[in-house]
Amino acid sequence: MPLTRVVARSLVALAFLPLRGQAQTPGAVYGTVSDTAGAPVADVHISTAGAAAASDAAGHYRMTGIPPGRAVLRFARLGYRVRQDTLAVPAGDSVRLDVTLRSSRFALEPVIVTAAKRSQLLDQSATSVALVSDSDLARRAVSTVDEAVDKAPGVLFLNGQVNIRGSSGFVEGLGSRVLLLVDGVPANEADRGGIDWDMLPLQDVQRVEVVKGAGSSLYGSAAFGGVVNLLTRDVPVGFHGRVRTTAGAYADPPDAAWRFRDYVGGLGGLDATGSYGTEVIRGSLTLGGRHSDGYREQDRSDQWEGAGKLAWHPAPGTRVTASGSWTSHQYQVSPPWCERGQCDDRGLAFQPFRIGTSDTGAYTRSDKGYAATTVERTESAEFAWQARASWVRTHFTDFNPDNWGVANRYGTELRGTLRPGGDSDRALTIGLEAARADVTSDIFGGHAENEVSAYGEGERRVGSVRLSAGARVDEIGLVGGGLAGQLSPRVGVVWPTRSGTWRGSIGHGFRTPSLAERFPSLVASGIRVVPDSTLVPETAWAFELGNAVSLGSATRLDAAAFWTEARQLIEPTFFDSAGVPYIQFRNVGRARLRGFDLSLVGRPFTPRLETSLAYTFLDARDLGTDSVLAFRPKHLLTLAADYAFRPFSVGGDFRYVSRIERIELGLSWADDPRVPAAVLDLRGAWSRDAWSARLLVTNALNYIYSLTPGTLEPVRTASVVLTWTY
Amino acid sequence: MPRGVFRAALAIVAALACNDGLQPTPAPTTCPKGGFVGICGTVTLRGAVPRNTSAVYIIAYKVFPQSRNDLFNFQPPLQSLNQLPLDRQSEFYAVTLPSGRYEWVLAAWVDKAFTLAGADTTLQVAGFYRDGADTTAAGSSIVVVSDSGTDSIDFVIDFGAMQRVCTYFPPCP
Repeated sequence: MPLTRVVARSLVALAFLPLRGQAQTPGAVYGTVSDTAGAPVADVHISTAGAAAASDAAGHYRMTGIPPGRAVLRFARLGYRVRQDTLAVPAGDSVRLDVTLRSSRFALEPVIVTAAKRSQLLDQSATSVALVSDSDLARRAVSTVDEAVDKAPGVLFLNGQVNIRGSSGFVEGLGSRVLLLVDGVPANEADRGGIDWDMLPLQDVQRVEVVKGAGSSLYGSAAFGGVVNLLTRDVPVGFHGRVRTTAGAYADPPDAAWRFRDYVGGLGGLDATGSYGTEVIRGSLTLGGRHSDGYREQDRSDQWEGAGKLAWHPAPGTRVTASGSWTSHQYQVSPPWCERGQCDDRGLAFQPFRIGTSDTGAYTRSDKGYAATTVERTESAEFAWQARASWVRTHFTDFNPDNWGVANRYGTELRGTLRPGGDSDRALTIGLEAARADVTSDIFGGHAENEVSAYGEGERRVGSVRLSAGARVDEIGLVGGGLAGQLSPRVGVVWPTRSGTWRGSIGHGFRTPSLAERFPSLVASGIRVVPDSTLVPETAWAFELGNAVSLGSATRLDAAAFWTEARQLIEPTFFDSAGVPYIQFRNVGRARLRGFDLSLVGRPFTPRLETSLAYTFLDARDLGTDSVLAFRPKHLLTLAADYAFRPFSVGGDFRYVSRIERIELGLSWADDPRVPAAVLDLRGAWSRDAWSARLLVTNALNYIYSLTPGTLEPVRTASVVLTWTY
Repeated sequence: MPRGVFRAALAIVAALACNDGLQPTPAPTTCPKGGFVGICGTVTLRGAVPRNTSAVYIIAYKVFPQSRNDLFNFQPPLQSLNQLPLDRQSEFYAVTLPSGRYEWVLAAWVDKAFTLAGADTTLQVAGFYRDGADTTAAGSSIVVVSDSGTDSIDFVIDFGAMQRVCTYFPPCP
């Protein structure tokens, strides 16, 4: 090194030497936490004297405010051995420390919060729960919440309508029989009872819990067939940021006769999250937007979204959280595909990528959001309580035809959890809920509904067996009308044995008809849809028996048999009066849904290779007509494999959905082109320091299929996702 | 996951992936084979399609309507109706119907401004099937639908000679 440079460096170094007696500036430590296979490990709690941090989805962490000198850092996470490292932290500078965590000898059960409305270990739940972790979300590089939930075992989306063990079928998005929660806040649409999956940016979702089977004993209406809880990210201490950008392209239709445009359809998006937190107060803000040209005719969409979270810890054991989101989605409405003669059909019976020329121009703007405030306090090891208030709002404007609607749902809940003795042997959760839903629309009119509920569920360990029992009472009624009551009990048992942990439950579910089902006023294809004020809630009893067992050190099997008896199902019905045809939602159906699901997760050859298999068999019968229940495929299979080696990983998912045996609504499905779905998704990733790059090819085989009449599922889509995390 | 299961899973993927999905399907020119129950045929279109046309459907009555109250007792059900393409001079059609005897097979024209109250002008008969021996004005050729589909139910749709509902149930306003 030239002498002049040495002298210059020495002078610079001298200039920055701390003066005697001056306080030393704290230092910082940053790095990456990975497992022995090289995969990033998220949510690792990193602590040292005076500072703490958590790793993000890419395994990155940054901890500031560390007193200079020798520091001992402790890395801890459930399922891994605790690791401690000692290093010298320079004053006013940062130092990098990458660590590798080894799996603990006994894999620890994940903690869940949805199945019993309190924290519990997964293997203590009496009902089946599927988890989508943040590492699953990062690995699969999905962009929307519904894509994240879609591949969960036993879950199937039919043109945007979620099904858990065949719960909802397909009713054009109306009246979901699955309840969506955002951090425990009910978020189904107040008017149509459906779910807006774009209400929350995926960037803000840390994990998803899917509770299968009737959950009305704790969650009331809509938890008829299951509950999906989106749990948002905790805000870490210090400055953090994350920028995620996506760019991709849709494949052309595989056959030239189906081509509908002369350019490559693209998609792209940009999301940015910034957060700052201290031990007392923390906040985060996410802003993003995305555009898609769509993969079929008239399928463009633009979306803008924002979300924020503020957490205040005024005292030990007390947390006040305010959170919310807002999404504005403008999209072309892609109506059912073009059938013979409705467009330039090129001599074909149907053109799945095209729409009828009379349908061009349909366009919707859909705004939606929520705001919630929660106060949580842990009074002691034995008692904790929380109170929350929430507001969910949806607003849609259809252009061509012109329709509009605004709906609100205001909710409040007070809940307490008692654990006598402070251990997990006994627990009691009780709560009160109240909500008001209203709608103002040119289709549904102006209506409002109130509901008041009380619930309680207790759990007690007797020997090695855990018994739980609880019930919820819901009083629901239109403003100005009377309230109608629903009692929803549930009992459960969990029994650890040598042959695995057995679980069993019997629970009641119900769904109150949505305001849209009760008060529609529109004309569809020349037929008037008329209201029915006599609609009553649809109800179900759900039974389940399951077993979770570890097969060796690296494989876990979970199997469950389920049986649901449903009554008074609400379905759109055609009828005529004095020779005039009408459509009306009526309580007409009785149904039986039974079957089993099976989930197998393991590392068969090497710890670097993680594989999973999930299969659901469903026998769904319409007992009224003694036929197969519509829109319920019999077989649902999901296979996944991921191989990680240092900063690289490759993987894929395969999803098979058997041919849907029976359809309803829009039966004009030319030539009845029902086929099974066989979809292969491939992915590859590279991750280093603050950067990660992911290549995703969904529907890699460009398999063309449809799950509901006249609609087309996405074609092969290649996208690159770049993420920078600070 | 045990290795055997992993290999079996790969085999399952390979087997299930050997599936072609949807393929371009040429428009049919004969009654579909295998399982189809209904009528098929070719309609010949005459005259200019009215600008206010919403749709034309082919429907069938088991019993010739006796009054206006019977107008909507047709097959197939409303929710199963398929629009007839109108951009060619002749068009093959296939309509699913329950097996049985039908007294009237016709093409119903629907105005864009269709209302039940204004059915006399917004709902019209654009054409109907009749065989050579049928001499009735309204057409009462019996069509029998068997379990294998009934072909060659051909007729003419004449947009220049459509008949209002009141033609069959007078008086006309």
